[in-house]
Amino acid sequence: MTSFNAILELIKLELKMEWRMKYAIAGAILYVVTTVFVLYTSIQNEESTPWNALYWMLALFIAVNAITKSFALNKSGAHLYLYQLASPIQIIIAKTIYNLCLVFLLLLVSFGVFSLFLGNPIEQIGLFIITLFLGSMGLSLVLTFVSAISSKTANSGVFMAILGFPLIIPIFLSLIKLTTITLQSEAGEYLSDISVLIAIDVILFGFVIILFPYLWRD
Amino acid sequence: MKNHWWKILAVLLLLYAIIMGLFVPLKSGILGLTPREFKTDQKITTHVKTYNTDFTKGVDGSSIAYIKINDKFKLYADLVKVVDKNTLALDFTLPALLPSIQKKWPYTIVVNDKKHGAFVRPDAIVLEQAALNLDAAISNWPKQIEKQLLFPDELNFPFRPILYESIRNTFYHVPLWFGMVFLLFGSVIYSIKYLRKPNHNFDYRAKSLTSIAVLYGMLGCVTGAIWAKGTWGTWWTFEEIKLNVSAVAMLIYIAYFILRSALVDEEQRARVSAVYSIFAFVAVVLLLFVVPRIATNSLHPGNGGNPGFGGEDLDNTLRMVFYPAIIGWALLGFWLGQLHYRYSILAERLNDEFE
Repeated sequence: MTSFNAILELIKLELKMEWRMKYAIAGAILYVVTTVFVLYTSIQNEESTPWNALYWMLALFIAVNAITKSFALNKSGAHLYLYQLASPIQIIIAKTIYNLCLVFLLLLVSFGVFSLFLGNPIEQIGLFIITLFLGSMGLSLVLTFVSAISSKTANSGVFMAILGFPLIIPIFLSLIKLTTITLQSEAGEYLSDISVLIAIDVILFGFVIILFPYLWRD
Repeated sequence: MKNHWWKILAVLLLLYAIIMGLFVPLKSGILGLTPREFKTDQKITTHVKTYNTDFTKGVDGSSIAYIKINDKFKLYADLVKVVDKNTLALDFTLPALLPSIQKKWPYTIVVNDKKHGAFVRPDAIVLEQAALNLDAAISNWPKQIEKQLLFPDELNFPFRPILYESIRNTFYHVPLWFGMVFLLFGSVIYSIKYLRKPNHNFDYRAKSLTSIAVLYGMLGCVTGAIWAKGTWGTWWTFEEIKLNVSAVAMLIYIAYFILRSALVDEEQRARVSAVYSIFAFVAVVLLLFVVPRIATNSLHPGNGGNPGFGGEDLDNTLRMVFYPAIIGWALLGFWLGQLHYRYSILAERLNDEFE
């Protein structure tokens, strides 16, 4: 009976700790809401297919997982050393380019594996690869920046999702629209969508460059 | 007084928006015709149900009505009878042939009198002709005397099917969203000020303005939901891009407050949340103003091929209330933000004293 009581006490303790970090539970709820929302937006388009939705959902998690560790160094004193070696702008550009390559590579690999198991419905491979590249650019820009922010908190994994998912949605919506176009055999109107995506990437890049030095300060 | 003039202005503009917005009547309009489908080459009578009219007083038999076949050809009613306050009976003699290239087509009906002015309902009456013969129709078209339309000098909001009285929500729902964007912009200004010169008051101001902006966003959602219930028949629809993006915008700013609560060190919290709020504002602007424009379909004006605020959508009477309403709501938001800021400063001071 005593071991049962002990278990009960431990559960109570867990509850108390959870309650003390209320933001963590709020974060978990926000996590659920944004994930479902992203899934919903990807299946909502009538011309879209489950393939499209699943692929981008997977891409989102791949990108978040790959980029979360970007600023793990911050916890040790290593970032002080980096701070002396390079300017913050150099650091964020380097990290973003590295993450861009990483995410792009991972997306290509998952495209291959997807095609192997689920078939390949993409009719215009060239346009799809461009979409992947622009998408990896947007994802790595936002997520690298967000991982810099969330590395300041105690629970960086949760914050990666809370802060990152809603910020990614504008990129996500245009990515899904573009992918829907690549599903059709003849090239539709895609120039305006591509330019919107490029414009979003450029604007985000500009703000990341301006804002990052302020994050890097401590 | 020198520092408070804008608060007085906010109150006056909002009073103006509320009084004008709720008390200026809607223009008279046609709700529908019964019956509304006819074959040509016969004498017909149809009843017109109208809105916001009283034909029993002040009309003095000045009523006329016609079916508009196209820009050149009108068919006047032989007789316009007043049935009750809101109903007219129209007698037409339909010729066998219509100067139209459609066999069966809905035409516009126009009713006019000296009290209510002209009211038009497109696609109100469906006429079906047995044969198509444009030349014969034009040469046999009955000779009619062109009648002058009468327009009384009155202030009223346009009558729009589906919208009806809810058009007044233009002065509350839309300015709330405008106000939210202005407030968020104000918050970004204070965030920039903080990053340039770390002073905690700037951080508190940014936080207060963001709180009020989120409040405005929520009120915008509520007023929009009520409007949607009346016009689209549902409180909320996920198929509408603007509803989705505004939900995401709310999420972005809820994340802002969660981020604040997770950062313990005051200086770090102020700096990190300033950086996040600037970045978030960029994302929200992209969300609210860029993404809906590339969406394929939308029920909102100005998106997915619908007309925006301009031309037909916003007539001069609406504009006269709409623009002051935007300024009024925005100023009220900044006032609320200021009060919230003072409250946070006082709460902080109290906290310090008790500790």
